[in-house]
Amino acid sequence: MVGPTASISNLNRADGSASFKCPTTGYDVLGAVNAPIELPTRRDALKPEEATVEVFVKPGTTTAGVGERYIEGILRSVLGKVVLGREKGFPRRGVVITLAIVGGGNVERGDSYLTILPALLHTSLLALLSASVPLSMTFAATTLGVTISNEIIRDVSPRGAKAAASLHALAFSSKGHLLLNESQGRFDFEIWEAVREQALFICQGAAVPSADGDVAMDEEADRTHLDGFIRETVEDQIHSEYNWKVDSV
Amino acid sequence: MASATANAPPSLSLPPSQFARLQPHAYLLAHLSPPPASNQPSIRANGRAPSQFRVTSANAGSLTHTNGSAVVRIGDTAAVCGVRAEILHTDDIASWSVSESSTAASTAKHQHLADLSDHPTKENKDVDQDSDAADDEDRAHVQGLNLLVPNLSLSTGCAPGFTPGAPPSALAQSLSHQILSLLHSTRLVRADDLRIWYQPPNLGPEDIEPHNEDEQMDVDADQSGSAENRQPREIKAFWVLYIDVMIISLAGNPFDAAWASVLAALRDTKLPKAWWDVDNEMVLCSDDLTQAYGLSLRGLPVASSFCVFEADAAAGWRAVVIPDAGEQKKGSQSRWILADPDGYEEGLGQERACVVVDKDNDGKGKTVIVKMEKHGGWTVDSADLRQLVDISAKRWDDMKRILDQC
Amino acid sequence: MRPVGKAKWPKKVDFAPLTGAGFASITMSKEHPLSNPERDFILDALRQNVRLDGREVDQFRPLNIAFGDEYGHVKLQLGKTNIVVRISAEVTKPHEDRPFDGLFNINLELSAMGSPAFENGRSSDLEANSTHILDSVIRHSNALDTESLCIIQGVSCWSIRADVHVLDYDGNLTDAACIAIMTALQHFRRPDAVVKEGQVIVYGVEDRVPVALNITHKPLSVTFQTFNDGTHIILDASRREELASEGELVIGINNAGDMCFLSKFSGAPVDALAIVNKTTVALERVKEINALVDKALKADLAQRSKQGMADESRAENDR
Repeated sequence: MVGPTASISNLNRADGSASFKCPTTGYDVLGAVNAPIELPTRRDALKPEEATVEVFVKPGTTTAGVGERYIEGILRSVLGKVVLGREKGFPRRGVVITLAIVGGGNVERGDSYLTILPALLHTSLLALLSASVPLSMTFAATTLGVTISNEIIRDVSPRGAKAAASLHALAFSSKGHLLLNESQGRFDFEIWEAVREQALFICQGAAVPSADGDVAMDEEADRTHLDGFIRETVEDQIHSEYNWKVDSV
Repeated sequence: MASATANAPPSLSLPPSQFARLQPHAYLLAHLSPPPASNQPSIRANGRAPSQFRVTSANAGSLTHTNGSAVVRIGDTAAVCGVRAEILHTDDIASWSVSESSTAASTAKHQHLADLSDHPTKENKDVDQDSDAADDEDRAHVQGLNLLVPNLSLSTGCAPGFTPGAPPSALAQSLSHQILSLLHSTRLVRADDLRIWYQPPNLGPEDIEPHNEDEQMDVDADQSGSAENRQPREIKAFWVLYIDVMIISLAGNPFDAAWASVLAALRDTKLPKAWWDVDNEMVLCSDDLTQAYGLSLRGLPVASSFCVFEADAAAGWRAVVIPDAGEQKKGSQSRWILADPDGYEEGLGQERACVVVDKDNDGKGKTVIVKMEKHGGWTVDSADLRQLVDISAKRWDDMKRILDQC
Repeated sequence: MRPVGKAKWPKKVDFAPLTGAGFASITMSKEHPLSNPERDFILDALRQNVRLDGREVDQFRPLNIAFGDEYGHVKLQLGKTNIVVRISAEVTKPHEDRPFDGLFNINLELSAMGSPAFENGRSSDLEANSTHILDSVIRHSNALDTESLCIIQGVSCWSIRADVHVLDYDGNLTDAACIAIMTALQHFRRPDAVVKEGQVIVYGVEDRVPVALNITHKPLSVTFQTFNDGTHIILDASRREELASEGELVIGINNAGDMCFLSKFSGAPVDALAIVNKTTVALERVKEINALVDKALKADLAQRSKQGMADESRAENDR
C-alpha cells in the first residue's frame, strides 16, 4: 500500500502551511494557518479567555455549500479542543485555518464527507504545527469502510464508500483518546468496536504509550502508522530547517 | 436549587436564577454532585436525570397546503416541517439523457468490489452485486437527481442572537447537511415512490383503458408479474420533495427535533396519483384523495443527542501540562453525559455525541446503528458509546410510540 | 486594485458594481499599508529606473508552470505569487435563451491562504476586480468556443468551470490567474460524448481518448502600475510595488495583436501616448508568455504519452 505524502511550510504568506496527499483516495489538500490574528468582524463571537478557531474548507472544483459548513463545524470542534488557545497571546484572537482541496474528486451534494475527513484533519494539524500554534496533543485520523460481508477496508475511496455498508472516520490523539468518531451506514456496536481497534492500530501502531507519555519509537513501525508519519514529516522539516546548523557543526 | 443556595456563602445570598447566570458551570456542577451530607440525588439543573429526555410531543398534518407536515416539540425546542412535492420532468434533467459508457463504470465497480473483499465465496459475491445494483439505482435516482431537498432555517426570534435578514447561519447550513446526509445514508425514501411512469398502451384488443390504469397504480411487485407481455414502461417524471424545516424555538438540541419533524412529516406525506398523459404531453395528477398514496419509508431512524459536562473543564489541559495530574482522583464522578441537552447545558460543554438507531421488524428486531458521531472532546470512548446506544434504543421505543400516535 | 497609496487622487472612480447582490457587504481587504520611508524608497528608486527586485521596467517575474496529475490542473508561480487552477466539466442544461451555447465560468475566491489580509467567505474589491478582468479577457472574448460545448441543442451541453485557488498572493494576481486559466483550458481534456438515438453517452477516460477544448485565440491580460504622476509605468508589480502605485492599466491582448480589454482604473492621469506604447510592450510579452505556455504544454504532453506507453507495456508484461 502506498502511504500518504506530506510537506510542511510550503507557502510564503500564511503563518503556517502544509500539504497532504493520500494516493489511495486521490485527495490532495493544502492548508494554511494564520495565528494569532485579529478578527475584527467577529467581535461578538470572540471568547474573552480563549482563542477562536475558525476553519474554512474550499472545495476543488465547486462552490462551497452546506456540506462544507458541516465539515467545518466538525473540524472546528476537534481542533478547538486541541489548540491550547488559553496560552499567552491567544485570548480574543483568532486561529484561522484555510483548507483547499487542490486534488482529487469532489464530494457531491449530500454525499458523505467522511472519506476526505482524515486528509483535512492531517493537513490542519501539520499546518498548525508549521505555524507553531501551541497544541495540547497531536492526533491521527483514518476512515474505514465496512463491506456488506463485514470486512474492514482502509482508506476508502469515494467510489468504495458508495459500495460500503458503513463508513467510519475516527481520530485518535497521540495519547490514545478517541477525539472524533463519525459513523454512518448500517452497523452494530460489535462491528464498530472492531473498526475502532483497527483504526487505533492504523493511527498508532502497536506502540503503547509508556508511563511518562512518551511513545517508544521503533524505526520500522514508524513508517506504518500515521502518528509516526506525522512525526516523521515534522522531523524532516526541522532537519531541513536546521541544515545550516548541522552542516556548520 | 437548595444545594446551590446552600453552597453560596450567606453574606452573598443570591437567588438561584442569578447564580445560574453568574456561575453557570458551578451551578450545574452543584446540582450534579451535591455535597454528600445533603442527601440530595444527583440531578440536572432542569430537574432531569442525566439520561432523561425532555417531554416530547408530535403533531402531524398541521399545515394544510403541504403534502405532509409535522410539528415536533422537545421541551422548549420546537420544529415545524413541511414537505412539498413538485414534479420534475425527465426532459428537464440534463443528466437524464446521459449515460456513462457502461462498460467502464460497471467493470470498474465490480473490480473494486473484488478488491474490497479479498476472498469472498462465489455465491456470496453474487448476492452482494445483486443488492448492490438495486441500491445503486435507488441512490442514482434519489441522490443523483437530488429528489430530496431539505432546508433548515433558524427563524428570527427562535433564540437570542438570530437577527432578521441574516444569511443562513453556519449552524443552519450544517443541520441542513446532516438531515440530507442522513436521508441519503438511511435511504429512508424509496426512489420507487417518487417515480412517475408512462405505460404505453398495449395494442391488444382486450386491454381496456380503466383496467390499465388500475394496473399502473399498483406497486412494482404486481407490475413485474404482468409486465412481460407489455410494452416496457418508461419513467416520465419524478416527484421532488422539498423538505423545509423551521426551528421556531431553539432551546438546545435542534437536530433531534428537526430530524423527528422530518420523519413525522414524511410519514404524513401523501402524493397524489400521477401519470403521464400522452395526448397533452404532460403529467396529470388525480385529485381523488383515495387514490393518493403515502410513502413507504425504510425503517424509522431516531436520533438522540448528548452533551458531555465535565466537572473540571480545564482537567484536560492540566493533564497535558502536568502529566501527573492526568490521573483523576477516583471516587467522585468527574463528568456526566447529559441526554437531550437544553441550551443552558450546551453552553457548558464542547463535547457532543449523536446516535441514530433503528430497529428491524417494527421494533422487534435487533437495534441497528445508522449514525454515530462524537466530537469536541476526548472523554467519551467505547464504553460510554455502548451505553449511549442502549439509551438511544430505549429512546427509539418512546419516539416510535409518539410518532405512531400523532 | 489597491488604491492605498493614492492619497493625491482622492477621487476614486469606482468600477460598475459587478455582482448585483451582496455588493454592499463587500469590505476592503487591505494589505498592511507601506510605511512612508518604504514608499518613498520605492518611488525614488523608480525615478532612477530601479525596481525593488532589480527587474527591468517591462519585465515579468520568473514564470513557472507545472501540471498536476489530472487534466486541467495547473500550478503556476509568478515570482512569489502562487496559483492553482483546476478545470472541471459536467453535463448540464443550456440556458433557455442560448440553446446552442455551452457554459463556461471562472470562479475566483480569495481565501486567507493567499494572504492574511483576505478574509474567508467575504468578497473583496480585489476579488471582484480580478474576476471582472478575467471574465472580460477570457470569457467575453470567447477564447473558449462555447458553441463547441453544445451536445444536444437546448437539452444538454458541457459546463466548463475554472476554479482559481490563490495559494500565495504577492501582487499581480490578475495576470497570473489569466495565464494559469488559459494554460489550464489548453491542457484540459473533457470526456468524449456521443449522441445515439437521443441518448448522450459519455465515455470514460479509459474508453476513449478525451477531447481537448476548442480554443479560438489566446488572449492574456498584462497589468501595469503607474507611479509618480504617471511618469513611471511598470509591468507585473509585486505586492509592495502595488501598494505604492497610483493607478493600474490593464491590457488584454492576444498573439495576433487583437485587443480585447483595456482599462485604466483610478484617477491618476497617464499620457495617452504612453498607453499606446505600452500596448506594444503588452503584445511582445503576450507572445513570449504564450510561447512559454506552449512549450510547457508540449513537454507535459510528451511526458504523459511516454508515461502512458510505459503503463501499457507494463500491463502487457503483467499478462
